[in-house]
Amino acid sequence: MHISDGVLPTSVAVGTYAAALVVAGWSARKTKGEDLPKIAVVTSAFFVASLIHVPIGPTSVHLLLPGLVGILLGPSGFISIALGLVLQSLLFQFGGITALGANSLMMGLPALASWGLFRLMKGDSLTRYIVSAAFAGGFGVLLAASILALLLAISGEDFIGVAKLAIYAHLPVVVIEAAISAFSVSFLYKVKPELLGVALPAAS
Amino acid sequence: MHETAVPRHPESQQFTLLEARGLSYRYPNGQAALSGVDLTIYEGDRIALIGHNGAGKTTLVKHLNGLYAAQSGELLFHGEPLQDENLKRVRLDIGVLFQDPDDQLFCNTLYEDIAFGPLNQGFTPEEADALVHESARKVGMEELLFKAPHNLSYGQKKRAALATVLSMHPDALILDEPTANLDPRQEEVFTELIREFPGTLIVISHDLTFLYGICDRAVVMEKGGVHHDYTMKELASQRKYLREHGLESSFRFTCCGGHHHEAPTHAHPHSHGRSSSMGAAGGQSDDRPIARQKSGDSDAPLIHLLDYSYRHPDGAWGVRDIHLHVNEGESIAVAGENGAGKSTLARCILGITEGRGSYAFDGKLVTKKNRKALWRQVGMVFQNPADQLFCPSCWEEVAFGPRQMGLPKNEVEARVEEALQAVRLTGYERRAPHHLSSGERKRLAIAAALSIRSRVLILDEPTANLDAGSEDLLFEIISHLPVTKILISHDMALMMALCERAIVLHQGRIIRDYACAELERDVHLTSINGIDYTLKNACRDAMLSLQEGAA
Amino acid sequence: MEPRAEAIRYPLFALLLWGGGAVLAVCLAAAVFRALKARRERLRQFQDDAAPRDWSEPAIDASAHLDSPFHRWDPRVKIVSLLFFIFCVASLARLSTGAAAIGLGLAAARTARIPWSRSFRRLGAMAGFLLMLLIVTPLTAPIHPGDPVVVFEHLEFLPINLRGFFPAGLVCVKAIAIALLMEPLVGTSPLANTMEALAQIGAPRKVGEMILLAHRYVFVFRHEAQRMATSMEVRGFRKRTDMETLRATGNFIGMLLVRSFDRTQRVYEAMLSRGYGETTRSHVAFTARKIDWVKGAFWIAAGVALLVVDHFRGA
Repeated sequence: MHISDGVLPTSVAVGTYAAALVVAGWSARKTKGEDLPKIAVVTSAFFVASLIHVPIGPTSVHLLLPGLVGILLGPSGFISIALGLVLQSLLFQFGGITALGANSLMMGLPALASWGLFRLMKGDSLTRYIVSAAFAGGFGVLLAASILALLLAISGEDFIGVAKLAIYAHLPVVVIEAAISAFSVSFLYKVKPELLGVALPAAS
Repeated sequence: MHETAVPRHPESQQFTLLEARGLSYRYPNGQAALSGVDLTIYEGDRIALIGHNGAGKTTLVKHLNGLYAAQSGELLFHGEPLQDENLKRVRLDIGVLFQDPDDQLFCNTLYEDIAFGPLNQGFTPEEADALVHESARKVGMEELLFKAPHNLSYGQKKRAALATVLSMHPDALILDEPTANLDPRQEEVFTELIREFPGTLIVISHDLTFLYGICDRAVVMEKGGVHHDYTMKELASQRKYLREHGLESSFRFTCCGGHHHEAPTHAHPHSHGRSSSMGAAGGQSDDRPIARQKSGDSDAPLIHLLDYSYRHPDGAWGVRDIHLHVNEGESIAVAGENGAGKSTLARCILGITEGRGSYAFDGKLVTKKNRKALWRQVGMVFQNPADQLFCPSCWEEVAFGPRQMGLPKNEVEARVEEALQAVRLTGYERRAPHHLSSGERKRLAIAAALSIRSRVLILDEPTANLDAGSEDLLFEIISHLPVTKILISHDMALMMALCERAIVLHQGRIIRDYACAELERDVHLTSINGIDYTLKNACRDAMLSLQEGAA
Repeated sequence: MEPRAEAIRYPLFALLLWGGGAVLAVCLAAAVFRALKARRERLRQFQDDAAPRDWSEPAIDASAHLDSPFHRWDPRVKIVSLLFFIFCVASLARLSTGAAAIGLGLAAARTARIPWSRSFRRLGAMAGFLLMLLIVTPLTAPIHPGDPVVVFEHLEFLPINLRGFFPAGLVCVKAIAIALLMEPLVGTSPLANTMEALAQIGAPRKVGEMILLAHRYVFVFRHEAQRMATSMEVRGFRKRTDMETLRATGNFIGMLLVRSFDRTQRVYEAMLSRGYGETTRSHVAFTARKIDWVKGAFWIAAGVALLVVDHFRGA
């Protein structure tokens, strides 16, 4: 869930904008110049993937995918996320334009964290990859929900209850994202391992 | 106009545009793509680049345009190696029309896309503006300049992509499968545009009849090297060359040309006097693994659409006033220009979209409720196998349908084995669909539909973009499938060889429903919907007569 | 908890009454909406059969072809002044000034000739979040002495703090006002012009370039995903709450990504082969005239005025 306009106090909105710009600058420097257009195209794919709804019981949730973005794009994940959020805000009004900085931090930092976690955990077997992807995917959403809660909580004491609820509401999403990340990484491991940085066996 | 082929003399007086000497290239994974290519391209050449899928044509083209650097050997542009300034020049002077127009149209309006090249060439915005309008006019899209690419039809996108290259006034134009997926009318328009191009042409295509109308030199590639360098006429007149290079689909040139070597075992369309009925498929079903006994009321047609119409959400008609009945075991060709409603009709039959009117399947009316279960009866093989294959292994891909049906494990296994066998992909179980060749992927997509054992199979352009060898195999497999087939195609030869009956759609309506052979002779179609099969037929006839002369 | 002592108490049936009333209102609204939609559908059936086929999907700049004072406005001035105004609105602390901002937003959307459906889509997208705030905040806001609290019989554990409606309502008002301004801001120029304007204001050129590319390929991948979803449907895939659905969805996303990475390479090559490189030039040039500055000054003044009123009446 993205923060809409009008929730954050102006100081927080401006502060998170500044912080997000700093992180995005770091992320862009970590990305090769020629990769920037490629990141843009891949971002559209993540954008479309995040529109997929997965049913849970009578309702359904849409995917957030910070974990998967981090796993696949590494440090460039942050600019990809920020770019995706700009599009969501401009296209659909998912997330307000004044909250863009906050939303970028909320989804982008978990992407970076998931990348680190995945890199630490992945071994050299398919099983290890799958397990670490599940952890990274679940952790990404959990962290995103925590940041959301934190941002809501500092927006005023009246929103603390909403913040708590946001965390609970994201718990099923954590499970779903963990599973989806695991299946996606398992698929990629078998089909296009170079995307996961798996060492390629030399072809004959 | 098809007698344009001029014999090429190696010691021609023309200037050399590009020259490759011992050019080799390996993919990052070590696989060799090009090995020792020697090729000289002269200014004004019109080259057909031919070869099997995977022979290295696309990789060669990417070298010629400066996208790939030579790993060994050398490549000279105007006599100089491709470095620095020369590299920049080769990219700007040699235009490439890529296969998928969506790769080439990367801006948000046509205008920006067409202006992109000229602006990078250093033209001022005013000069670029003139170039944009000039090339948009050339491809007949001036009034669409401010449209976004996703609002264009496929044919329009293809022409727009050409305009983005033409606006740069390239010395040479490289075209990768330019006419794939175009309907005959658009293909004709496109062919005319290419023919008008004054510079050097290099065309990759599997469509020999199309190449014959445009090119005068044929370079045949095989296993990463240049295998032969003929004049187009030489190549076309020698059946043995065609066969040697796998350029000749047996059904395409034997069916109506009189050479019935390796005659495929399908019902020949020329026997159209026979009533279209179970004939071919019914006779074979006994010895086929995937056999289906005819069930239910034998008099009721399998598919019966009555007064069926569908409107798109934007109000445009998809199909309208459709009266169609298809009997079990029939093979029906569905023809019509792009946007005539062929895909919509398929979606209605599949039960994905629901229109107005009555639709009965096997005598039972399709209702809101049982429409959801129609997928067990009607399967579809989509035009682009990439849209259909999403599993990490071939086995899972084929097992997907049966699993969704909730079949027990051993039954799923049996069906997968059987379906893979039917498309001759036994042994591919653990391979990733994404890595198969396009022909193999097409076959896998068929297997994925077969394992559901549906009674109707809708095939959308099954042989598009395949080399002749893959095409032949696919054709043989399809013609032996003991199911009711609905073939959506622009390919006259394929329709003739596979189907007895043809329906022609135009603006959502069925305007013809007759024997396939009549479709070929139907000259009125041109005036109705601009579908013109005569150009291709003329090319084919010219080639056949050349071959007769040589034999 | 002492505050409960001052709470206004209602019997449980009052809640049922109110709840029932609310449900009824929602149902009525839905019915009206459906009726309107059905009417539009019927009207459409009478349309000219030869109407051109329009496959357009909502793009950011879907309304850019229209003409209005917003369309004629120099996008550089437009972006700066409207963004300033938007941040002013986001800083408001009173419902009354927020309502005034909504009024200005409505006026802007009308002046810019934005179709109602576009504005409604934006409001609809926020509805979930805002409704959640409106329901949850009164139930969870901490209760201070003097807060108006409503308690229902048998539901003593769930006091409703009416003060909670204020911060939630304030968020709604501000969010709606800003959402109304988004279309005049980004929908009234072709996206490429907006990005060029951003670059001329000082944003890195690469940013605009990436937004344009990403926006373009959202549509390509969406169509790709739709075709893939159709082919899954044809093979019997139905979404359920089970592991199989998650596996298929995971594979689906994996495939979408594989295809996108492949396409990435092809697009990049297509860009290179048309001379993409160090310098990107634009075909757009802007000139700011007097009227452009006047419009800009109006919005900046309006933003400042709202803030001043908000501040002083609050003091």
